[in-house]
Amino acid sequence: MRSRNKKRLCAAALYMVLVLIAFVSLFPILFCLSASLRTQQDLTAHLFPFTIRSLVPETFTIQNYIAIFREYGFLKPVWNTVFVTAVTIAGGCILNALAAFAYTCFDFKGRTVFYILVMLSFMVPFESTAIPLYGIASRLKLVDTYAGMILPAVADGMVIFLFIQFFKDIPLSLVEAATVDGASWPRIFCQIVVPMAKPVFITAGLMIFMSQWNSYLWPLLVARSKEIRTIQIAISAFSGERTIQWTLIYTATTLSIILPIAVFIPLQKYYVEGITAGSVKG
Amino acid sequence: MQRIHIKKKWLPYLLILPTTVLICVFKIGPIVTSISESVQSSKVDGFTMVNYKLLFSDKTFWNSTWVTLKMNLIMIPLQIVVAFVMALLVNAKVKGITVFRTIFFIPFCVSLTISTVIWRMLLNINDGVVNSFLGLFHIDRIGFLTDKRYALLSVILICSWRGCAYWMMFFLAGLKAVDTGLYEAAKIDGCGFFQRLFCITIPLLKHTFLFVLVANTTANFLLFTPVQIGTEGGPLGSTNVLMYEAYKAAFSYSNRPRSSCIVVILLIIIGLICIVQNKALAGEG
Repeated sequence: MRSRNKKRLCAAALYMVLVLIAFVSLFPILFCLSASLRTQQDLTAHLFPFTIRSLVPETFTIQNYIAIFREYGFLKPVWNTVFVTAVTIAGGCILNALAAFAYTCFDFKGRTVFYILVMLSFMVPFESTAIPLYGIASRLKLVDTYAGMILPAVADGMVIFLFIQFFKDIPLSLVEAATVDGASWPRIFCQIVVPMAKPVFITAGLMIFMSQWNSYLWPLLVARSKEIRTIQIAISAFSGERTIQWTLIYTATTLSIILPIAVFIPLQKYYVEGITAGSVKG
Repeated sequence: MQRIHIKKKWLPYLLILPTTVLICVFKIGPIVTSISESVQSSKVDGFTMVNYKLLFSDKTFWNSTWVTLKMNLIMIPLQIVVAFVMALLVNAKVKGITVFRTIFFIPFCVSLTISTVIWRMLLNINDGVVNSFLGLFHIDRIGFLTDKRYALLSVILICSWRGCAYWMMFFLAGLKAVDTGLYEAAKIDGCGFFQRLFCITIPLLKHTFLFVLVANTTANFLLFTPVQIGTEGGPLGSTNVLMYEAYKAAFSYSNRPRSSCIVVILLIIIGLICIVQNKALAGEG
């Protein structure tokens, strides 16, 4: 009887802590959502003193959402981000997978040297070289172009490692048998390797998505113009303007986090697999 | 591992060509330019340490170094402990735990940029809901990001709100790999929760702890976004981390050599961290 009570007490304490952390995790996001659905007057008038009306709108309105697209041209940064992210995912998945395929399956001269390059790109985080990278991008005329945002993010040691970890498990005998049968290499890659590696493509794509959709420092340096900037840059610039209504910033932030959350939640398992592969390799 | 020797000698080179070129241009390139820029000066011919001398005699630089270190010393233990506890919690086998796990992941989906933009409004001294809430307890309004006493701490909390969700994933992956039979055996032997935690779980997760420690340290040394958006290095340089100082040197003061010196110092720090990590891992065999 006593141990049963103790167990119940433990469970109650556990749930209390869980609810508390869940509240801290969700509060800023829910507040954004709520503030995006009310007018600026409604928000500021009910802030002090603190009541339930500070959190929940008196009347709901979607006016902010209309304004942000109509008056502030928010569609442009959304489109830019979608485009840059999609191209990086496609390029990153294909090119890194091809390189990983070569490193796992073939023996060739200089393999170690090239492999060290991959290691280096894995160890040195992108942010650390972003500032000097600007000089190179400007020499290559990549400033204020989509290519400037995409190209430096495509080759990624982390993603190559991820593919290598997975390709290691593909039986080489299968590949060798296919060569004996006279299958060409593009065919072997597309019809044997890729179908077996579908999950790892999802993982790699998701990792590139999360980092590219959310990247800030590099786009800030290389793509400042209004025509080309991504959501992150647009919102940061937007929130720096003194005259802007906060409800509009809340609206923009709400819009910007919908997609990552919608993509990440159903695919979280794949992401965890990806970071596990990375952390095992160290 | 066995690898295939093929007749088409050029094929592997063709396959690695695109990534190798991209890595050389966009990764090795900036490393080389920053090193060479840091040891050259328009006033002196050839190799010179004059940029470093100038940097080391500058109080702002030492302040930034101190701020970066201080931030790391608070943030890393905080994030590791909180992330580990969160992982332990969502690893519990109780009803509805998957819902909580998903909720705990969500801050990670919000970029550091957006997190900072949101928290900057929530923490605002005049119109922030946090100050409004604290008003319930008759606490005077606090300038979380504008008061020298609180700015660094606020930056740390903003980073940790998102960071803990991220590092929790690593610990959770580690916990999932622990053989549950070990726990059962320990339970039968009469080990309590804390005994099991400190004698089984934590030692088994040594690799994960080491990885998170290293990755977290590296990431934090390069922290930039919340400072640039949240505080602009202020107030009074209290959040002026090295990355932000390097950014300002390059893009506000057009002082490329100074910026390159700081970048090189950061790269050396990261290199050292990587070496220490490899040594620690190799030591275990």
